[in-house]
Amino acid sequence: MKTLADLKKIREKAQEEMKLRGGNVRIKIVVGMGTSGIAMGAREVMKTFLEEISNRNLTDVLVTQTGEKGLSSMEPVVDLIEEGKPKVTYGNMNPEKVKKVVVEHIVNGRVVSDYVVATGD
Amino acid sequence: MQDISLHLLDIIENSVRAQARHVKIRVMNLSAENRLRIIVEDDGTGMDTETLAMAQDPFYTSKGERVKKVGLGIPLFKQNAELSNGSFQMASEPGFGTVLTVDFELDHIDRMPLGNLKATLLGAIVGHPEVDFSVILYYRDLAREQSFHFETAAIKEELGDIPLTYPDVIEYIDQSLNEGIQNTNMENV
Repeated sequence: MKTLADLKKIREKAQEEMKLRGGNVRIKIVVGMGTSGIAMGAREVMKTFLEEISNRNLTDVLVTQTGEKGLSSMEPVVDLIEEGKPKVTYGNMNPEKVKKVVVEHIVNGRVVSDYVVATGD
Repeated sequence: MQDISLHLLDIIENSVRAQARHVKIRVMNLSAENRLRIIVEDDGTGMDTETLAMAQDPFYTSKGERVKKVGLGIPLFKQNAELSNGSFQMASEPGFGTVLTVDFELDHIDRMPLGNLKATLLGAIVGHPEVDFSVILYYRDLAREQSFHFETAAIKEELGDIPLTYPDVIEYIDQSLNEGIQNTNMENV
């Protein structure tokens, strides 16, 4: 059974880590979760991002969900936002592609151009 | 949508879009009454009578910025509930919020599966840190009763400035939901 005491331990550990690396979020991931996105598999895309973050212990990444963005024909759609860099939008995503984006883009800093459907603001 | 939990996610996203600060989700497996019941209650902007009626119409949407002017989420959920001898009720009050109650006949041949409830709840909770979620899972048959209650406000308070997407926190929420889902027989429903 999970208790709030477990969370206290997690908080202490996380605060230590944040002290060491300055505590900034390096990359923000935004998963489009409108009706058509959900119907096309956006929930599994979100799930895979969370699994990868957890398995790879990525502590400087944030993931959020948002509504439709008018790219219905390319759902599921995911934005990757890094400070000082143009926003990258990946389209037609699935769990396999998510794994590749995590390794290539988030861990190694190389945009996976094959999946990009838009860049900039 | 292939399962009920995908519809549930769609409904939760509606609540978030309606600027809810608190979303209460109840999933009830009422085996003795042959019912599967989903209740989603939010404190978002709410809808007036006309908007409420239109929201259940397949050719209405409030998402003004969208290119395609059809919102199919709610009408499809309603249709799927009614196909399994269930019911679909939506009540709303501008400025106070919206309550949606959806019933399915548990053993109806045309009822969609509940699906991956954990993925729906985990994604919504972690993906909307600005919203507080109350999750209540409830199971009842003739012999026993089980319930699971999960409040994200308590978790966020305990975490302070540590984000919900911190790896150990994801794992914590994932495991908590997993326990709740198993204890209330929400797997393979």
